[in-house]
Amino acid sequence: METVTLTIDGRQVTVEKGKTVLQGAIEHGIKVPYYCYHPGLEIDGSCRVCLVKIEKMPKLQTSCSTLVAEGMVVSTEAPDVVEARASVLEFLLINHPLDCPVCDKGGECPLQDFAYSFGPNESRMEFPRRVFDGEGVKADVDFGPTLMLNRNRCILCTRCVRFMKEVDGDAQINIVDRGYGSEIATFQDEGVHSLISGNLMDVCPVGAITTKDYRFKSRPWDNPEAIDTICTFCERGCNTTAWLRAKPEWAKGALLVRTTPRLNPDVNGYWMCDIGRFDYHWIEGDDRLHRPLVKMEAGLQQPADWREATAKAADRITAAGTGSLRFLISAHASLEELFLIGRLGSALGTPEDGVAISWRAREKPQPADTKFKVPPIDAPNVNGARDMGFPVKASSDGRPDISAFRQQVEQGRVKALFVFDPGPPGSIGDVSWVSQARASGKLALLIVQGALITDLARAADIVLPGASSFEKDATYVNYQGRVQAASRALPAPGDAQEDWQIFVNLGLALGITLGYTDSAHVRADVAAAMSSNAAYAGLADLAFARPVTAQHWLQASNPSERWKWDVMFQDLPPVKFAGRPDPSSIPTVIPLTERD
Amino acid sequence: MEPILTRYIQESNSYTLDFFLKHEGYQGLRKALATQPNDIIEMVKASGLRGRGGAGFPTGMKFQFVDKKTPKPKYIACNADESEPGTFKDHVLMERNPHLLFEGCLIGCWAIGAKMAYIYIRGEFYHVQKVLESELAKAYAQGYAGRNVMGSGWDCDIVIHRGAGAYEAGEETALIESLEGKRAQPRIKPPFPAVQGLYDCPTAVNNVETLCNLPCIMINGAEWFAKLGPEKNGGPKLYCISGHVKKPGVYEASMNTTIKELIFDRAGGIREGHQLKAVIPGGSSVPILLPDQLDIPASFDSVQKAGSMLGSAGMIVMDETTCMVWAAMNLMHFYKHESCGKCTPCREGGDWLWKILARIERGEGQMRDLELLTSISNNIAGKTLCAFGDAEATPPLTTLKHFRGEYEAHIREGRCTVPADWRAKGVAEVAH
Ligand SMILES: Cc1cc2nc3c(=O)[nH]c(=O)nc-3n(C[C@H](O)[C@H](O)[C@H](O)COP(=O)(O)O)c2cc1C
Ligand code: SF4
Ligand code: SF4
Ligand code: SF4
Ligand code: FES
Repeated sequence: METVTLTIDGRQVTVEKGKTVLQGAIEHGIKVPYYCYHPGLEIDGSCRVCLVKIEKMPKLQTSCSTLVAEGMVVSTEAPDVVEARASVLEFLLINHPLDCPVCDKGGECPLQDFAYSFGPNESRMEFPRRVFDGEGVKADVDFGPTLMLNRNRCILCTRCVRFMKEVDGDAQINIVDRGYGSEIATFQDEGVHSLISGNLMDVCPVGAITTKDYRFKSRPWDNPEAIDTICTFCERGCNTTAWLRAKPEWAKGALLVRTTPRLNPDVNGYWMCDIGRFDYHWIEGDDRLHRPLVKMEAGLQQPADWREATAKAADRITAAGTGSLRFLISAHASLEELFLIGRLGSALGTPEDGVAISWRAREKPQPADTKFKVPPIDAPNVNGARDMGFPVKASSDGRPDISAFRQQVEQGRVKALFVFDPGPPGSIGDVSWVSQARASGKLALLIVQGALITDLARAADIVLPGASSFEKDATYVNYQGRVQAASRALPAPGDAQEDWQIFVNLGLALGITLGYTDSAHVRADVAAAMSSNAAYAGLADLAFARPVTAQHWLQASNPSERWKWDVMFQDLPPVKFAGRPDPSSIPTVIPLTERD
Repeated sequence: MEPILTRYIQESNSYTLDFFLKHEGYQGLRKALATQPNDIIEMVKASGLRGRGGAGFPTGMKFQFVDKKTPKPKYIACNADESEPGTFKDHVLMERNPHLLFEGCLIGCWAIGAKMAYIYIRGEFYHVQKVLESELAKAYAQGYAGRNVMGSGWDCDIVIHRGAGAYEAGEETALIESLEGKRAQPRIKPPFPAVQGLYDCPTAVNNVETLCNLPCIMINGAEWFAKLGPEKNGGPKLYCISGHVKKPGVYEASMNTTIKELIFDRAGGIREGHQLKAVIPGGSSVPILLPDQLDIPASFDSVQKAGSMLGSAGMIVMDETTCMVWAAMNLMHFYKHESCGKCTPCREGGDWLWKILARIERGEGQMRDLELLTSISNNIAGKTLCAFGDAEATPPLTTLKHFRGEYEAHIREGRCTVPADWRAKGVAEVAH
């Protein structure tokens, strides 16, 4: 890496060549505010709040657009810089509604934060503010199926415009009119229609773009716990943060209030898609399985306890003949779960063609040249299953080819079928033929382990309630072949158990001792089994996040910019900035406090 | 000095190709095509030709900065957006002498290795577009543009593009954006257009009058051109004189001519019975000169030395009936209306300044408003993305500097104390 050394505020700093003064300052914990700059977007140089003084340059320069140069001498604290910066913040605030108390961004808003630390103490504006669509929350107007727009709050940084143009690939947002009358708009007010629209809420530095999903739902300080995890809703495996609301026992509503993307330059950059961001409600929804179910003689499913359900399952499998059990596995099964299924299968003598891996694949409607493509396969671990030697067969359109397996079932050649489906609704692909085979009697025994009461689960003789990927520590291999960890954020509902546990117990009931007491041990054995595959080298040491209780709510703030909060905002509101923080005192990672 | 660029503009058919060809038309281009491009750039440098669009940047240098090693196409973008208040010279050239501009464009293209020149004309210049298009068609038909220019084997196209009517489209990078079909908003510099301009290719953005000077440099030589004016201020110059003079209009003169001569000799002096109060010498964006500051050559360097700028050479002459508070407010109305809105200080500050100026003008101001005006103007000047910010901060700062008393009188008396006869006509009629 070629570097240059420059001086910022009297400090020598070494920065990678090609970076900007602003990036260098941020990396070294030197506070410079910015709005139009976003690390995932191109430079705009329009907000003017990042002005710094550079020796030998007559005018103040925008640090976001000035490349670092050897020997450059920069000041972020010279009196004219302080004044210019304050004046830009004054300009940004003279027409701002300052309705922070009802604004979704309140508490994690760069406009609040920078204005507190760098802005003037009072406003000199004596004229009525500019108003676009109405006053207060009435000014929130529809901005497409997922978003709301409040033009009064907009500071015209054009991050949203550039996101749509540069990342989404369909420039649906632009500014109409000019000067003081400039406003954010879409063609004929149609709003934003994009599969990655939720990122606009993240990039918007104010509460101008908010999501319908999170609207008025919570405050950052009401979400004291955040868990770094990954999204398992498709094979990309975006790195995310799951946010939990502090909620007394008796309060209604979900714990999980939102998921937001977490920077991983190799996987998802700063972004995630709307499926991952918004389609999480099933996790705490009404269709979750809370207790095992066992079908009675009359055909009705009755709740049962685990001992009863597992024993029943083992009895029925034994009656059918252990060697006749077949497995239909969703590609939502984690490495650990696949490993255990493999161990059970070999103990039971399941033949090689007695297992099928299934998933849903659908082409997502996106602009042809989008920079953030959502893959067609709606499952996180197709590659993991393949790596572990499972028969993964896909047709050219990405859909699983399980026709031979299906034929066996439809022709009545399968006596007992075990289906494992821990993913979101429909993500296992078409399994209606299984229910039909059970209904027609072609299939005599159907056991379903999964998270949701689906049509398939309703057709089952025995239903074992498992955990979603938010409820267990588990590992998956994404479309790039990268092994990633999803961390447990919530407990599974009711009596539902983590799936590794269910497999271990089922094994015991069948007289097979798998011998695990937690998922880490399973993982260690997966790592040993896969030791010849370099991609799995770090598997045993993968860190799982625990819910973070932030010491200060800002530390667990907007994750797409959390690196910024981590290094820059240790002393922010309500304490006004006074002098630069001692760099040695700046923690680079959030201290983890384990939740009990 | 005999007029050079505007010599024949009074002739009824001066704009036609036939007329042009009879008066040395395209002879500069003929010479240019027989000269090495680099030698032309050296000639333009030696001539001391400086950009006539406002900044007075040496044109030869600009041509030299164009990256010639890149395999990308290069472009000339002729800035014919002429929207600076008080400026109306380029449109005269285009309407009355369009082939001179085409010839200049072609010489420029040859010099920098471009095969395409865009002439970006102001949205309101519909009539100019008509003239340019019909004359360009003739130039194409007779082999002066397009394929095989003047039998040289060299191809060069000229495209006329009319903007949508925004002052800011005259800023060179905003002009490029607009040419690309986007909003006329400037880009952050660097990269400069000479390196990365139109379609990210090297581009020289040149004012109409600037390009119109290239043919006579080719014909008569750099030395001749340089000697027409003071050092580093060579060549003929067009001045637009407007306001309270007897004969407002476009005057061509050497830059040795003083502002006083231009106003009193060429434009006939101040209208009968009135006295000169102030002059804005370079379009609305530059500081005021007072009557005792006018005995200086109207050159880039002398006007700058006097504390203002020659800018677009739009000289706005005001007599004693002009209320300076009103003048500042009127100009600020223009600027706040024309701000492109891309950057914060100009978008927010311009409108704020206008509101304060209007309040003072209405007689509702307070003394502290004067400090506020100064402070806001200083917070805009030098902090914006493009030079528009400096322009917009100028009217309040320069009027406050020289005519603070008028502001104080407005505030004290609650009304205008300047004997402004135009007030009887009503503001609307006069202002917009
Ligand atoms: C707000 C603004 C408006 C401008 N308008 C014009 C214009 O109408 N015509 C023009 O030639 N230059 C205009 N300029 C100057 C151009 O940016 C550029 O400097 C000029 O076209 C370069 O040509 P020249 O070197 O031949 O002067 C404007 C600049 C600014 C900042
Ligand atoms: S809506 Fe948000 S992101 Fe878009 S320009 Fe306004 S403040 Fe910036
Ligand atoms: S792209 Fe895939 S992994 Fe990423 S958020 Fe969307 S569904 Fe989840
Ligand atoms: S200074 Fe004014 S015109 Fe120039 S970019 Fe900023 S807002 Fe636009
Ligand atoms: S962050 Fe530098 S100008 Fe906006």
